Amino acid sequence: MKLRVDGLSVRFHLPGAEVHAVTDARFELREGRCLALVGESGCGKSVMAHALLGLLPGNATVTGHAWLDGGDDPLDLVAAPEKVLARQVRGRLIGLIPQSPAAHLTPVRTARAQLAETLRELGRTETPDLLADRAGLRPDDLDRYPHQLSGGMAQRVANALALAGDPPLIVADEPTTGLDRPLVDATMAELRRLCDDGRAVLVITHDLRAAERVADEIAVMYASRIVELSQAEPFFSGPLHPYSRGLLDALPSRRFVPIPGRPPELTRLPDGCAFLPRCPLATAACEDQPLMNGKKVACHHA
Amino acid sequence: MRIVLWRLAFAVPLLLAVTFGMFALAKASPFDPVRQYLGERAMVTDPQIMAGIRANWGLDRPLLEQYTTWLGNLLTGDLGESRSLRLPVAQVIGERLGWTLLVVGCALVVMLAAGLAVGTLAAWRRDSWLDRLVTGTAFANEAAPVFWVGLLAIWVFSVTLGWLPAGGLTDAASTTVTLPDLARHLVLPVAVLAFSQSSWLLLFVRESVIGVLREDFVTGARARGLRERTVLLRHALRSALLPFITIMGARVPELVTGAILVESVFSWPGVAGTTIKAALAVDFPLLAALTLLATLAVVAGNLLADLAYTVADPRVRVLGVS
Amino acid sequence: MNVTRTGKAGRRSGTAGGARWWPGAAGGTLRRAGADGRARRRARRHRFALGTLAVLVLAVVLVPLVAGLDQQLVDLRSAGLPPSPAHAFGTDEVGRDVLLRSIYGLRVSMLVGLAAAVVSVFIGGLVGLAAGAAGGIADRLLMRVVDGFNALPHLLFGIFIVALFAPSATAVVVSVAVTHWTTAARIVRSEVLSLRGRPFVDAAVSGGSGRLRIVVRHFLPNLAPQLLLATVLMIPHAIWHETALSFLGLGLPAHLASLGNMINDGQRSLLAGDWWSSLFPGLLILVPTLAVSSLAQYVRDRANPRWRSELNL
Repeated sequence: MKLRVDGLSVRFHLPGAEVHAVTDARFELREGRCLALVGESGCGKSVMAHALLGLLPGNATVTGHAWLDGGDDPLDLVAAPEKVLARQVRGRLIGLIPQSPAAHLTPVRTARAQLAETLRELGRTETPDLLADRAGLRPDDLDRYPHQLSGGMAQRVANALALAGDPPLIVADEPTTGLDRPLVDATMAELRRLCDDGRAVLVITHDLRAAERVADEIAVMYASRIVELSQAEPFFSGPLHPYSRGLLDALPSRRFVPIPGRPPELTRLPDGCAFLPRCPLATAACEDQPLMNGKKVACHHA
Repeated sequence: MRIVLWRLAFAVPLLLAVTFGMFALAKASPFDPVRQYLGERAMVTDPQIMAGIRANWGLDRPLLEQYTTWLGNLLTGDLGESRSLRLPVAQVIGERLGWTLLVVGCALVVMLAAGLAVGTLAAWRRDSWLDRLVTGTAFANEAAPVFWVGLLAIWVFSVTLGWLPAGGLTDAASTTVTLPDLARHLVLPVAVLAFSQSSWLLLFVRESVIGVLREDFVTGARARGLRERTVLLRHALRSALLPFITIMGARVPELVTGAILVESVFSWPGVAGTTIKAALAVDFPLLAALTLLATLAVVAGNLLADLAYTVADPRVRVLGVS
Repeated sequence: MNVTRTGKAGRRSGTAGGARWWPGAAGGTLRRAGADGRARRRARRHRFALGTLAVLVLAVVLVPLVAGLDQQLVDLRSAGLPPSPAHAFGTDEVGRDVLLRSIYGLRVSMLVGLAAAVVSVFIGGLVGLAAGAAGGIADRLLMRVVDGFNALPHLLFGIFIVALFAPSATAVVVSVAVTHWTTAARIVRSEVLSLRGRPFVDAAVSGGSGRLRIVVRHFLPNLAPQLLLATVLMIPHAIWHETALSFLGLGLPAHLASLGNMINDGQRSLLAGDWWSSLFPGLLILVPTLAVSSLAQYVRDRANPRWRSELNL
């Protein structure tokens, strides 16, 4: 199983404005590997996850390709009709671990009802208890309603639901939001385990420390574009893009210096490098949009 | 449970106030019930006899005494005697309540099924031609008087097409009530009552489902690979129904209104239609009993809705909060 | 009862979880016309509703001036005629022109509706003002009474009143007012409660103004627009109520051409297949009601949200 995103762009059409949520994203993800997509809130990371699953609202336009290659016949997630996505892809080929898992459970039904339903619809024969056990839940936890689940339990239920159809690709959308540090570590360890089991894992997060624990590769996103894509180790020891450097410097364990300024609004992106106003290295050359073009970084100065 | 006790605590003074209000209004009425009762014969009846009747009905007593007597009789199950039908009120209601419950019950079932299905469909296909047709019809239906819709239905299905009888319980010729005959006579009243009551439900369900479809848990359900039908019915609709349960209870007054008008249009022999006859004949004991019955229905509806809500929402059931 | 009563809509709060700036529902399967088309259609509908109302009101005011008493003209030679160029809405079973009579009927219904609306908003306004200005136990007690009245089946209550006091325009107005004042009471109360917190009221109180003076000088002028709108919105309810009572034979005297009476009269002809004498008067109830509710929607979109929920739009 291999995911190859090739020139993926997402636009939202609002009355009187157009949101550039994702622009020309390119990356590859193979089984047994984990890619972390990092960046500040509102840079378009979550939209990417929803675009891959075909869960964007009607006012979104998606262009480019996202090839899901399982061997013989690669499937383009962008071009695939809703029917194919619903019956073959979601839950079966791609499992989503959502942001704030409790909110992604229907409040009026127990965890067990929803897990059993998912297993049934995906044609699985496992029992909810077995799946819960694998996710580290006790059977009676399943009889709770979403509002009765603690953050950690909700996270495990979400994992169990995402894994119900045994999908080879897992997309985790901000899986650590609102969790405390031990739970973040446990979640990351769990994702790493899924990866070591031979699944491909795409983690979307703004938490670089969490990303460092789990990722083989890092993709940094800024203002709708992927600006750096490299192996985890060299990235954390020597980031190439000035924005990546800024992100790492902002960590409490490092220099704890935030990047000055704010990211641009996605409805009004500049023609040149979007990081220009916040960048210490900016020159006149930055008025031209820097592109990746097969390199590891989209910057004129790296 | 506390909310149920609250409702009950509120219901008793409400019923007392309503019944006392009825007596006060009757006292203030310019009509003389005895003259009304005697009709033409009032002209030739000895005033002595009329005074006798008045005393017999207790009309010469003070308001409060009349009221407490009535209340006392009510508690022992005696509702008095209908002056226009010359039968015990309890018997009049007993004979007709079943027919009203039949029509209203059938209409409720039809209205719930159709309202939920069509409302959900309209929400799912929001802004499609289907949605616009459905919401347009529902808005027009909200604005249309029930009796007028009933008359149009009679014109189309009875007069023009000749498919269904225009009213009554059975064919005029038949002396007994047979099931197929009854069913044929039931179709139009039930359909009209259900149709007229369904538009608010439909619009409410649509609005509610549209709101819920934006929620994360719907995205979550879709992301798990569930069928669209499952997402729509078992996740979106099911969650959208919660607020609707309470509102359902609050709609009982409208249901009573609809029943009165529909029974009147279709000459249906139920209690609601009888209200009109009692009103036209100024038959106070019957009218009072029917008004009390309707108020009871409203109170019961609210109570049932609260109970249903407690059962349906796990958050209320488990935590005991609303 | 109709149109604007959809109950306490349990609107759900927005998306839980992270901040999402993209609007609308997830579920990219469906191509939607989107907010743009909706807003356009809505604006068109409001203009149309306003135009329709203007035409109807003009007709109701002007036609009687021109036509005089023609509507009562009984002409048995032209009885029961279907719609034609001479009689756009046909004629009834005694040969009266249905169009002309419907306009008179609408006029009667509108007048009765207006009177009932004014009276019910007046009663409701007084109660709401008293509850809001007094506060405390008096407020809670009055709101219980409002709840009590809301729990009554309005039409049945109206029937009760009309039955005991000979059917007449006054009885209809009273029965509608007595059952419909609660909406205005809620609106006014919530408005007064919000006004109480405003600085100019504090200023008036510390300036030594009495309660009554504050109510008259400060609350009433601020409430005027709401009261006016509540009255306009109440008119369709009142008309609906009047026609229902008249249809049941408990409303206006039979000789008055009210819409309810006309539909009631049309019942007999309808069974003979003469649909026009019931259809058109009914349409004249439906169209203005729809127009008013469409305008109510327009107001709702712009109104203050607290007030919106009280109106039950």
